[in-house]
Amino acid sequence: MQQEESGTPINADDFGIWLSRQLRRRGLSQSDLAVALDVTRAAVSAWITGRATPRFEKIQEIERVLHLATGSSATRDEAPDSAGSISWHHRPAHADGGRELGNAAAFAFDSDLAVLAREAAQNSLDERHDLSRPVRVRFILHEITGERLRRLQEALLWDELVPHLRAAADTGQKVGRVIANGLRDLKERGSLLLLRIEDYNASGLTGPEYDDGRFAAVVRRQLDSHKGGAAGGSYGLGKVTLWAASQFGLVLMNSMLSEPYEGRHDRRLIGRLDLPWHEINRMQYAGPAWLGEGDPTRDGAARSWWADERSVEEFYLTRGSGDPGTSFLIVGAHDPSGEATDLEQMHQALVRGLASGFWASMVSGREMPPMMEASVEGLRDGQVVVAEERVDPHRYEPARTRAMRAFLNGETTSQITGPEDVISLDVPLTVPPLKGAEKSSSLTHRSVLLITPTGDDDPKPNRLVGMRGTRMAVLERGVSDVPLGAIRFQAVLLAGRAAGATGPDADAAERFLRAAEPPEHNDWKATDDLTSTYARGARQRLTEFKQAMLKQVRDAVRPVEQVSEEGAPKVLRDLLRLDPPVLARSPGYPTVKSATGMIDSDGAWHVRVEVRLPERADPWLLKPLLRFATRSGPLPSVPWAQINAVSHCEVVGQDDIRCAPGTRTAVFTGVSDKSHHPVSARMAGIEVDLVRRREIL
Amino acid sequence: MTRRIFPYPVVVGDVSLEVAQVRLDDIALPYEMISTSERMVALHRIDRRDWRSARLSVQVRAPERELEGPWSGISCMALLAERRTNTRTAVRLRRERPGQWAGEVELHRDRHLAQAELTGQLIADVDGVAGRMIATTTDSWTIDLRARTPSRRDEIKTRWIDFAADANPHLHAFRSDPWLVEAVGEEPVLYLNSGFDGLKSLLESGRPADRAVRDNLASQIAMGVWTAMFNAALYLDEMTSSPQWPGGWRESVLRRMLPDIFPEFSPEDALTEVLARRRSGEGGGDLQTRIMHAASRRAQVAPSLGALIRTLSRTSQEDE
Repeated sequence: MQQEESGTPINADDFGIWLSRQLRRRGLSQSDLAVALDVTRAAVSAWITGRATPRFEKIQEIERVLHLATGSSATRDEAPDSAGSISWHHRPAHADGGRELGNAAAFAFDSDLAVLAREAAQNSLDERHDLSRPVRVRFILHEITGERLRRLQEALLWDELVPHLRAAADTGQKVGRVIANGLRDLKERGSLLLLRIEDYNASGLTGPEYDDGRFAAVVRRQLDSHKGGAAGGSYGLGKVTLWAASQFGLVLMNSMLSEPYEGRHDRRLIGRLDLPWHEINRMQYAGPAWLGEGDPTRDGAARSWWADERSVEEFYLTRGSGDPGTSFLIVGAHDPSGEATDLEQMHQALVRGLASGFWASMVSGREMPPMMEASVEGLRDGQVVVAEERVDPHRYEPARTRAMRAFLNGETTSQITGPEDVISLDVPLTVPPLKGAEKSSSLTHRSVLLITPTGDDDPKPNRLVGMRGTRMAVLERGVSDVPLGAIRFQAVLLAGRAAGATGPDADAAERFLRAAEPPEHNDWKATDDLTSTYARGARQRLTEFKQAMLKQVRDAVRPVEQVSEEGAPKVLRDLLRLDPPVLARSPGYPTVKSATGMIDSDGAWHVRVEVRLPERADPWLLKPLLRFATRSGPLPSVPWAQINAVSHCEVVGQDDIRCAPGTRTAVFTGVSDKSHHPVSARMAGIEVDLVRRREIL
Repeated sequence: MTRRIFPYPVVVGDVSLEVAQVRLDDIALPYEMISTSERMVALHRIDRRDWRSARLSVQVRAPERELEGPWSGISCMALLAERRTNTRTAVRLRRERPGQWAGEVELHRDRHLAQAELTGQLIADVDGVAGRMIATTTDSWTIDLRARTPSRRDEIKTRWIDFAADANPHLHAFRSDPWLVEAVGEEPVLYLNSGFDGLKSLLESGRPADRAVRDNLASQIAMGVWTAMFNAALYLDEMTSSPQWPGGWRESVLRRMLPDIFPEFSPEDALTEVLARRRSGEGGGDLQTRIMHAASRRAQVAPSLGALIRTLSRTSQEDE
């Protein structure tokens, strides 16, 4: 909390904003205050618009009239009952009887946790504040029960919401079923899962309550993608994934602003509930509701409020540092696809979603920080159950990350000669003129294509990933028709500003490819946006671009020498193969299954040998052979001093073994004759072999 | 099948070796000539015939936890050996971190002929004895001086030539033969007579109608090739006291065919047996029968003949 010492000269602008807010909360008009203070209405108006500040005695009087603590105008403290003035405002149903039974934008998405991670992280990247530092994104899953749960429910006036949730659940629509499941889960398990998504070094929800700005784009509007600069598309369609990830459609927000609103930065809070149309006691509601301070000037619509640290903590929205950014709390978090069902699985799904979408944004060069850092953590009732995992791109995308890093460090090569080499090639993209400007000429942008070998353990080799601006993976596809004998590889295409290029061609490519992205941001194709924005031929230019990148990849991985197969006709080739035969799993002859041994105090080898026998009615007659291992040449063999049968066999003659007919294993032991050792037993390893003997009848 | 027993403790767990890069006289070899999955390096390049040495960047990895044992002063060696030239080069690798070593092994072309084998070994002091081998790589790498692609796929060299052409006076005696096998020297060669009318078009035909005859002809040729190669391999007996594998293509042929000749014998026993029969001069007839059996299995004579007979009976029915 910012503490200003009393006696600090009052800033007229700030005072005016503060006074206006206090009047609004008390439901007083400027004239009411003028009467109470015995001043003219014009004087009050001058204070509020910041043209003048009242004298000290008048300020004390104002504080008295407004029931505020002495000096609170200087410290800008809010009324002590600030938290008590928070309530839910439910939008009444449309007068024309229209009903929205679900959020149209939500249906445009096939939502799951990977999509949520992708949309949330993309917004944070687009809203990066200080471009010399990475934006940091944290996902915290927190399951709460008992008193913690009750305390949160009290803070967000849960009991008031329940009738609305029940009514919405009864509508029987798709959204209604999700809410009904949520209420049942809460009752049966007595626990609630929260997912907090926070970013640091981001813009935060700046701007006015109702007019254009980031705040209104997120809190008030559907489909408004408050296009800020080149990033564009932030908080657009994708923000619905936040609400879709809540079983109740309930998301609370706490923002630390990068530029002040009403003279303040810290802890701007608001909640938004997205329900379908519903009816309670004949009263009809449109669906959406906001948690905030009632605004008498807007029929009691809820405004954001500047919360104190205690209420932020009650809402589980305490931020980790003073860096600007926003914390979203998804209440009743779930995987909309139903795949991840518990906290640990959700943790995994989020980490994987972040790694596959943003590995490139998280790669740093030697002298270049990453664009983004991300982590995921899991807690139960305040105890860490899955430690915070910083998403490491090297772990999840080793080959692609290596390619990106080599590019950032300027270490790409012209030919691949080692498993870690990265080659860099050009792929031209011709950007056609805009519609209506057909006279102007096309621009040609040279995008960068990186190719690097990938390991044999890569489950999905030979793929191409394309990205622009923020380096979020957009296009991902396999490269087919790779020439025979080519290496296994991964390819990365950097278009527009992703490769660090600036200039009109990079900007044009950026805009062109953005128009070619469908809402899911997972391909570049001829979208309606593309064909309606660009002159004829846009579709063709895009197709050429995609074909050119594939051709470049294929050419780059083609082996240097094309060996002609002139010679053996195909039909003969398979019959004349000379490669070594595969050893049979169960060969038709006796084998040593295990052999162990040790040297006794006299220096002789004692070995125990287990023999595996193929099934046969006749007995097997074998001569065990003990040989000293040498590096090359025939191994010198050593006679036995003694051979003993242990099981399923008998010793025949001097030192042969006859295995019982029909048996599958036999065991014998043997002692070497040390007088015949070629070297001391301690100086060499030995091997035991079995040689067939002819049965002499 | 043998198991080696050591008189001292050795490392449990796999030790692996990898070739990361190869330079032919300081020029890096394209990465596709190194195959990690087949553990093979192909050194032959048409545009660089006269190279003198190849420098291999090698890395060896061992499970770090397994290296804590009664060993001290563990070091790692890379060994490059070729049996045929009796060359063996050992290079000590430098330790990069626990359980990982790296270094460069130089292969001098004039010391090698065809294929060199590259392995890694861990050496340590055990019970006061220095330089004992405590682990060796599970799989070795093959460095092939003559291959253009790093593939272990090995097949018999086949050439189409006109036996009657003036350039081939040595083949004039066989001018009316459709094919012949030369199972001598470094590599056996199957010569197909391009002057034999229709042979080439039949063998390379893709027409369904030709298929049964074509496959049967291929089996017939293959049968002859395997029989000739086996006999040639058998006759190169160096008469050592204990039987020795001959190496090269001869060993490959013996290893492929012996399991079919003596199915109840281990490969070593089978080699002993076949050499014993040849040396004693006994049982030549029985051995030839077994060789025919093995060669016909390799050449898939039975299935292709069966297919031919079925095709013929079908067409003769249609004719009636």
